[in-house]
Amino acid sequence: MRKTWRFFRYRNSFRFRLYFIFTGTIALLTAAFASFYVMTEINGYRSTLEREGRLLATILAQNARLPLFAENQEALSLLAAATARYPSVLFVSISNTDGRIITSLGNHKKIEKGGIEMSVPVTSPGPELSPESVLLGHKQVDAERVIGRVHLQLDTSGARERLNQLVVASLAIALLFWIVVSLLCYQILKRVTSSFNLLLAGIEDIGSGKLSARVELEGNDELDRAANAINAMAASLELRELENLSLQEELLKAMKLEVQEEKKRVMARLIHTNKMTSLGLLLSSMAHEINNPNASIRFSGHNIAKIWTDVVPLLDGILREEGEFYLGGVPYQTARDALAQNAVNIVENSERIARVVQGLRDYGVGDGSKARPNMEINATVSAALSVLACQMKQDVQLKTSLGTDIPVINGNQQQIEQVLINLILNAMQALPDGRGEVFLTTRYDSAAAEVVVEVQDTGTGISPDMIDRLFEPFSSTKLDKGGSGLGLYISQYIVAERGGRLQLSSQPGKGTLARVVLPVEQETPHLGEA
Amino acid sequence: MRILRAIIITLLLLPPAQALAYDVLVLQSLREKGYDEAVKGVRRECRASMRTVVLSDYAEADLTRIIREEHPKLVIAVGDRAVEAAETVRGTPVLYMMALNPKPRQNVTGVGMLLDPTRYLNVFNNLGSKRVGVVYDPARSGAYLKRAQTAARRSGIDLVVREVRAPKETPAMLESLRGKVDAVWMLPDLTAVSPASTEAYFLFSQGEGVPVVTFADVYLSMGGAVALGIDRFDIGRQIGEMAQSVLDGTPVEEISPQSPRRVLTKSNDGVLRRLKAMIGTGGP
Repeated sequence: MRKTWRFFRYRNSFRFRLYFIFTGTIALLTAAFASFYVMTEINGYRSTLEREGRLLATILAQNARLPLFAENQEALSLLAAATARYPSVLFVSISNTDGRIITSLGNHKKIEKGGIEMSVPVTSPGPELSPESVLLGHKQVDAERVIGRVHLQLDTSGARERLNQLVVASLAIALLFWIVVSLLCYQILKRVTSSFNLLLAGIEDIGSGKLSARVELEGNDELDRAANAINAMAASLELRELENLSLQEELLKAMKLEVQEEKKRVMARLIHTNKMTSLGLLLSSMAHEINNPNASIRFSGHNIAKIWTDVVPLLDGILREEGEFYLGGVPYQTARDALAQNAVNIVENSERIARVVQGLRDYGVGDGSKARPNMEINATVSAALSVLACQMKQDVQLKTSLGTDIPVINGNQQQIEQVLINLILNAMQALPDGRGEVFLTTRYDSAAAEVVVEVQDTGTGISPDMIDRLFEPFSSTKLDKGGSGLGLYISQYIVAERGGRLQLSSQPGKGTLARVVLPVEQETPHLGEA
Repeated sequence: MRILRAIIITLLLLPPAQALAYDVLVLQSLREKGYDEAVKGVRRECRASMRTVVLSDYAEADLTRIIREEHPKLVIAVGDRAVEAAETVRGTPVLYMMALNPKPRQNVTGVGMLLDPTRYLNVFNNLGSKRVGVVYDPARSGAYLKRAQTAARRSGIDLVVREVRAPKETPAMLESLRGKVDAVWMLPDLTAVSPASTEAYFLFSQGEGVPVVTFADVYLSMGGAVALGIDRFDIGRQIGEMAQSVLDGTPVEEISPQSPRRVLTKSNDGVLRRLKAMIGTGGP
């Protein structure tokens, strides 16, 4: 198991793979060269043998020309015997053109595969050498006439022995060469790949997160340049890491600050909400405390008026009878009308007090979620103005233009009132130095079947980049003056909930126009109606 | 129009008529450069009109009819085949040339291809050879050898002769001359010298250390020492002179057969040096 693991570890080693490839390639090349050498030598030996045989046969054919022509068998036998003395010659024969063997020596056996047989023609000069042709001046040509054949059979057993010796010697030399070159390769690879190992160790250190690690290679070759590049990359990564840590710390600090600011804003809104709740309770309490004495005052006024009505005929009789007299230091005829008027004023002012208190009470305590199908917009505007009566300053001129024949709409008067109060307060607060005019208009757009309420001021106006953000929560130009940034956000929510829309248009320096558009629900005809 | 046609036909027929009128009929065995050279030599010396018939151009040339119809004054046979064909000619003198073995016949004379034996014997004398081996076929070269033997006796040279009846006997006959001769005379004998046996002469020369005197310079490159060659153009000139003489009225019988008068002597100095023999080279 351990050996297997070690083999796999070596198999994945770059050095081992290179060594394996080198030695394998060298082994293949050595085998190829050795085979090529053996084949070349064998072919060369065979070629030499063939050349020797051809040479012997040619010489024999040349020497046998005249004896063969003269049919001198004795001379031919001598020539054949001389040729047969060569060790590589197994068999020799000389035959004429008819194929008849004139002489032969040796054992003519069937030649083995790869054996060598030579057959060379015995030629004599052509007819150009005849006396007649010569005297006629014929040119000599190489045409020759075949007068017989010389046949040789050569022994190739020497070639086989030589092949065996050659194979053994070649294998031994190739093996020795392979071992020597493999050892040399190992040493060279060991030296070359040591730089790779250093580089790899450095890269692994850096890869494991140890960015301060460096590859210790010195030189100017490719590996050294790669090591320098990796070192530079590690240094850069280290620097980026430090920068990242610093940025993270700064980000955490910024987030902490932002959370704290947000917390402050939320707390301020909670406090404001709490204040409003307390204010509602206070208004409710105040209404209760004011309504009781106010009811007594109004009742007293009514009583005074009723009593004065009954007293006036009596006092008129006294006047007719006794003449002018004084009441409370005032002549009767003056006091008669003034008292009646005072009684009326007492009742009217008391009723006014009652309405104001009722309005405050409804605004602070009332249930604002229920919609009524018969809400009159002008009455809603009046209620809002009554709430804001005490906020009106003398320098602000509020001009109202309430339309007539405005149909009732389906809505919650208290919520629409809150919308209008927000818009009127915004308009008043937009006036420079608290001076200016605020126009409040109601009208009915019959074409669109919509009720329109417009609040326009002559204030400073709103910049274009701010106007789009005013409907966002906590967005206000008066946060420093106690604005919550929720007025327009809530107002738009209320109007949109009722199917209407709240529009703002403004020009810096020329004031702002806030328009509330509320739909009028068309009455659906009931069955049975004409 | 008829007149014009007659003139044209007459003009067309005139050249053949002119060609048929000649004095000498040249019978050439075949179209051969050596024969052409000789015929040129004839034309050089003989201004008579000639017609040349190349026998190899015909399957069977009817020479009798040609002579009967064309009446040449003289027939010149060039080559052995032409000489053989001219045997049928009767009444018209025949001159032969470039023939190896012409048969002596009436009304026939000419120039053979064999040099006068004395030319060879002079060379042997110059070489200092007293015993000269000769291989010959009696049927072909018997007459020539007799002349040679006569001349040799006069020159004090002993001709050691060997007869052969077939080419394959030549090597053995040469072998029989070993140790018996100082030189070998290679005759232009078709039996004694065949393409296959030629080599035997020079092997013998090499083995015995004796020079071979031959009849053509091509053998010098094979080991011959001295070659006495013929001049084919000059043979033609010899025949041309004979023909002119016959046409001028000299009877053929009065003109005896001749040997080539001009000899081209060449030697292989390397062979001669090796054989330690010297020869004075000279013209005919």
